[in-house]
Amino acid sequence: MSLDTNRSNDLSKSKATNIANTVNHNATQPPWLAELEQRSRRNQQTFIDHISSRLGRPRATEPPIHPFRGAPSFWKEWSWEEQERVERFTAHFQEVGGHVVSVDNLEAAGEWIAQYAQDLEAREIVRQQLPELEQLRLEQRLPDAHLAVWNEDQQTDWRATAAGADIGIVMAEGAAAYTGTVMVTSSAMQGRSVSLLPTVCIVLLYKKNLHTRLGELLVPLDQRGRQQLPAGVHFISGPSRSSDIENDLTIGVHGPGIIYTLLIG
Amino acid sequence: MSRSEKTSATVKERADIALNNDFLRKAVRFTTERLRNGKQLASTEHGNWDEWRERGRQIRLHTIAHLDYYLNLFVENARANGVHVHFAEDTAAATEIVMTIARHKQAESVVKSKSMVSEELHINHALEEAGIEAVESDLGEYIIQLAGEGPSHIVIPAIHKNRYQIAELLSKDAGEELPPDTTVLAGYVRRKLREKFLDADIGMTGCNFAIAETGSMVLFENEGNARMVTTVPKTQITLMGMERIIPSWEDLEVMATLLPRSATGQRLTMYMSGITGPKRDEDSDGPEEMHMIIVDNGRSGQLGDPEFQELLNCIRCGACLNVCPVYRQIGGHSYGGTYSGPIGAVLTPALNRNVAEWDDIANASSLCGACYEACPVKIPLHDMLVYLRRRKVERGHGNRWESIGMKGFAILMGNSKRLGTALKMGRILQKPVVHNGTISLKIGPLKGWTTYRDMPPMADDPFRERWSKLEQELQQDQVTMDATVKDRMEQLVQARQRSKRGDFDES
Repeated sequence: MSLDTNRSNDLSKSKATNIANTVNHNATQPPWLAELEQRSRRNQQTFIDHISSRLGRPRATEPPIHPFRGAPSFWKEWSWEEQERVERFTAHFQEVGGHVVSVDNLEAAGEWIAQYAQDLEAREIVRQQLPELEQLRLEQRLPDAHLAVWNEDQQTDWRATAAGADIGIVMAEGAAAYTGTVMVTSSAMQGRSVSLLPTVCIVLLYKKNLHTRLGELLVPLDQRGRQQLPAGVHFISGPSRSSDIENDLTIGVHGPGIIYTLLIG
Repeated sequence: MSRSEKTSATVKERADIALNNDFLRKAVRFTTERLRNGKQLASTEHGNWDEWRERGRQIRLHTIAHLDYYLNLFVENARANGVHVHFAEDTAAATEIVMTIARHKQAESVVKSKSMVSEELHINHALEEAGIEAVESDLGEYIIQLAGEGPSHIVIPAIHKNRYQIAELLSKDAGEELPPDTTVLAGYVRRKLREKFLDADIGMTGCNFAIAETGSMVLFENEGNARMVTTVPKTQITLMGMERIIPSWEDLEVMATLLPRSATGQRLTMYMSGITGPKRDEDSDGPEEMHMIIVDNGRSGQLGDPEFQELLNCIRCGACLNVCPVYRQIGGHSYGGTYSGPIGAVLTPALNRNVAEWDDIANASSLCGACYEACPVKIPLHDMLVYLRRRKVERGHGNRWESIGMKGFAILMGNSKRLGTALKMGRILQKPVVHNGTISLKIGPLKGWTTYRDMPPMADDPFRERWSKLEQELQQDQVTMDATVKDRMEQLVQARQRSKRGDFDES
């Protein structure tokens, strides 16, 4: 199903988008789904009108003035110097059971990963299909391991490949030191599974993309706008964990139990 | 399965069962204390907590006040992203939509991540009746699902089970003996659920926040199961309470600051995921088809109600449970509904629109206000409990004996002679039941009190009768006041009067 032609950021066109979508859906959807869509549009009117009537006024169509958007203003103006960002990020990520390693460049990162993979005797490695990760030269460094590059061909079952991998390697788009969080996004070259299904997850992060506050990662998502957002934006702050059995901390419940951030630069 | 249904008639009966379960009480107290202390630490470390709470409250108030606009905006944007949006006014409608999708997908199994809305709708029950396996994938939820129970805490659903009980449940599930060791047990669930994730036809999630301006949904979690559910199965169904909206990603920073700190004392949950539509055509993972069902189920009834509209501000952190002296004693199941603790005590009757049936829960509170103090968006839950009690009486569901008692009290207190006579009679009548200076007789109206503690008897020489004597003594004291002190006080009074007069002169 192709929706790209219908994607419109301009809300004044939303009516036109509706019609276009309906036509498109009718053309490509099975009848039961088209029928649900039709029903949804009918119900939308009643559902939202009901909300307006409960609120005791006619339907609001103009954007309301939102005077409290985002964090308090004192917060938005505040940031740490780079040295402190690195220290805090490291402390916060490690505090919850993650690991942080500083390396000078991609070459050094490749060297570190190869050594680590050998120590772990990792057989299966999967990485995102990104030029930076190419530069790690893992294929040469680890001739005995099987190295899969996400979505490299159409035949492979990529989910199963990631699920069977010992190590998954991804590139972070940004990070926030205050919460100790890295942000990874999805695309054709960057499967969500790579940071989720393998036993170990290694995240590469350029020091220049390490910010202070979470808001510094979130505000740009608003600026990108709906059409430019990736399907998945994942904020990762440490290994998968649970305290559901007698408050006893367990690491690696569903996601990777071991997570490394390689801080580059 | 009778999940989350009321099993015993009254909150008191259910609480009695809980109070007799020693482990439950200790576990609940221990866990709530851990979470409460964690929250305290995290909010103190963060600083300016009250300013953040106020910010969170304002964002929620603003969104709910313009919910028609923001919800519509969200729907249009989500649709443009390729999401199939559906509207359900109640449980029946939501269930019908889920079942329609499941039928046409010929689904045999649904794997779920934690969703309070799905508990509210009893979706698992409906799926199982149709022969579709519904698997909870959150570790705690999986455990209580095996036990055939509902969650007893919003954040820690299996708070009431110890590791031996859990080992027993999981051993039965595994068909082999598993030791009561957390790592082994969690490891078993990881392996078992990996298969379930890969086999499932449908992934079902809740929704912590929905971002109106981009049509995205946001999930907070620690285990990674919500990521699994939104990554592996081909079809995703998200159940969302209609009030989960926030305007922008920028606003999410405030919610991401308040929610994890209030819930578990974490800076942020291990995973926070923003999902914008199904997988793109070129992607090799993520759902091919994504449905979002927007559920009313009694929520719109709170809109425009000045006493209860703020209920819709709730971000489901569970902080009010952890500080509640009642919850900490009786645990979640005593509340009898999907939501427990102070928020459950208000939300359950509000959503069900049947104050009469759930009225006893509103009485299960000491009205101490700890819930309000803990709430990251400042919902005045203790006031709402009083409104509920008032509505119950106004609608004629009050206790007849309580009304008679109150009327009697008014008659007594309205006339001092009458009160005096009644008190005198009381002192005479109590004589046969006073032993060793206390009343411990467990009969009649006294029973409610004397079952748990002794009742002090009325004094032989009550204050009311001692007052005339006391007053005389006080006046004598004044007469014998030291002359120098008296002088000084009089001078002070005169000086004050002079200065007052001066003020007037000037004006």
